[in-house]
Amino acid sequence: MAMGSSRALLILSNFKFKTTASSSSSSKPFFPFKTNLGTRNFSTKIRSSLQPPDLPRLAETARISLAPNEVEEFAPKIRQVIDWFGQLQAVDLDNVEPALRADTEGDNLREDVPETFENTEALIASDTLWNLGEPSSNTGMEGSFLLTYEISNIGKGGFDGMSPS
Amino acid sequence: MTVGRLLSLKVSVFLSSVPVSVHKQTGRILHVRNGVLYCTMKSSQSQTATQEKQQPPKVKVPQHALKKTVDKITRDYEAIIGIETHVQLSTLTKAFCSCPYNYGSQPNTSICPICMGLPGALPVLNSKVIEFAVKLGLALNCKLSLNSKFDRKQYFYPDLPKGYQISQFDIPIATGGYVDLDLPLEFGGGHRKFGITRVHMEEDAGKLLHSGNGAQVDLNRAGVPLLEIVSEPDMRTGIEAAEYAAELQRVVRYLGISNGNMQEGSLRCDVNVSIRPIGQSEFGTKVEIKNLNSFSSINRAIDFEISRQALLLSEGQGDQIVQETRLWEEGAQKTITMRKKEGLSDYRYFPEPDLPEVILTQEYVDSILKSLPELPEMKRRRYENMGLSMQDVLFLANDMNVAEYFDETLSSGADLKLAANWIMGDIAAYMKNEKLSINEIKLTPKELAELIASIKGGTISGKIGKEILFELLAKGGTVKGLIEEKDLVQIVDPVEIGKIIDKVISENPKQLEQYRGGKTKLQGFFAGQVMKLSKGKANPGLLNKILLEKLNAKN
Repeated sequence: MAMGSSRALLILSNFKFKTTASSSSSSKPFFPFKTNLGTRNFSTKIRSSLQPPDLPRLAETARISLAPNEVEEFAPKIRQVIDWFGQLQAVDLDNVEPALRADTEGDNLREDVPETFENTEALIASDTLWNLGEPSSNTGMEGSFLLTYEISNIGKGGFDGMSPS
Repeated sequence: MTVGRLLSLKVSVFLSSVPVSVHKQTGRILHVRNGVLYCTMKSSQSQTATQEKQQPPKVKVPQHALKKTVDKITRDYEAIIGIETHVQLSTLTKAFCSCPYNYGSQPNTSICPICMGLPGALPVLNSKVIEFAVKLGLALNCKLSLNSKFDRKQYFYPDLPKGYQISQFDIPIATGGYVDLDLPLEFGGGHRKFGITRVHMEEDAGKLLHSGNGAQVDLNRAGVPLLEIVSEPDMRTGIEAAEYAAELQRVVRYLGISNGNMQEGSLRCDVNVSIRPIGQSEFGTKVEIKNLNSFSSINRAIDFEISRQALLLSEGQGDQIVQETRLWEEGAQKTITMRKKEGLSDYRYFPEPDLPEVILTQEYVDSILKSLPELPEMKRRRYENMGLSMQDVLFLANDMNVAEYFDETLSSGADLKLAANWIMGDIAAYMKNEKLSINEIKLTPKELAELIASIKGGTISGKIGKEILFELLAKGGTVKGLIEEKDLVQIVDPVEIGKIIDKVISENPKQLEQYRGGKTKLQGFFAGQVMKLSKGKANPGLLNKILLEKLNAKN
């Protein structure tokens, strides 16, 4: 963990705390997993009180299959990663405005001018897209449509098989 | 009370077309309440008495009786309705790449590595998307976030090439607005104000067409920019919800940011409905309804869902109302369950690392505010203040092009009420018949003003005016030109009218005798003959005055 904490300190020293002109009332520091904590009043403990994720469910939502022994193997490693982030809780942020992003510059914009991509055939050729291994019989192309699996196979685990839009 | 009546109107519409669904779901209710249905006219005390005595007969229930029962039940509940609307922006290119978007193109012809989510491709935001988002936020009276960001909404679906949708989660570009509207008069009228929770930018997914053993994917639409508008749960009836959606359509069309077409999919609405007994502060279970393709579907689907939930609650079967997504079936006119959700989806939102912060300057926002056109609400209030009736106001302000036409006619000097009447009456009828928009008719606002002035000034009669209107609409031309060409100037010289009348009288001695004998109705016959002889040019008022004098002269 010594390596981890020195790296954490390195990152903290490079981190620019931006004071934003308008404080958005709904901005909170973002935690990738659910925590029981509020926005600012962290304890000064180094040991993080962030909850580690439910690994089987996490793997399910990410569509990564894990054998039980792999779950056992990965759980403490992921726990370590979270604790590593948890060290940031030691920082006193009371006088700092929340930043939306760790950005340097904003505004990389493009004009609304159409450009046709020429080689669309290459884009939709089977091997470009479906290189997950063997393209199976129900993937590939049909006319100019892309073929995909049966929808019912897809909606598993934390997702109801429906496009939200 | 008006709302209750409105509800019952809508309920009777769906009931008269689908008695079956009520049977299936609540067959028991009909069984038990047949006594009630049998004697709808009697007071409630006698109803219970008759209920005990009568055997429920197996006859088809009269529709009006069914309607009254459902109406009675729904009156005890209050519906809470919220709407999520997705507006497809009419930018020339997609949100994060330069692919053009044209509705109806051949599948997979407008794609590139970025919108296909191929490895290594990076999104670059289209500046027009920000402009349109700010326009809409301002038009909906929202507070704009001068700093906002994009987030990834992660889920797996074949029409989502990247495996995530670039959206805005916790810091949307606009929050806390409202929309003002007026309900149509045929539904009771009235002003309403509905809150807008947020407006945010996001990208559309591709199109999925279900086929035999899987699905076909067309990624032309993937990456098209959308604005999602979330309303406060302020609507209470199907008609309020439908009008809210119609007003959003009006606003996006006025702003020119979208063609707001529900049939094409450039305006999509998902509705959330829950009901609670009147007086209860807790909300009921929320049900989402999808697959609404028109404003009237929104109206009917909500009314159906309210009735469905009310019937279940009144039967003590409230636990049968689950949080789920239901589909509206246009053919069967009912909502059906899709699949019960296994808990809420976990989208694992996190800030989009490939896109910088969206930063707006106050100057930018102010310049857009200045450039906004007169919005529907402002136009309605202006027309109302000019003295037009609510019916006229709602018609004229509905379509931006019609309003512009009307405004131009007025600025050419036309009388207010007359201009409104012509546009709403004969011109609208012509447009409907010929399936033309107001921009396609050949009659210009200036000539319409000229026509109105010519009639008002007495140059031509109203009847002649209507006749040349048709030609002006179809072929254009000027009013003055047509009047001259066809010699349409009204005859207002009493001497000349007198001569024509004398001729007609002398040519019809029999009718004259009958008139003098007491058949005064024949005045109409004489008037018609004079009109015919004068080719419609005789001034009707003068004609009748002089005719009457001459007819009664030798008495």
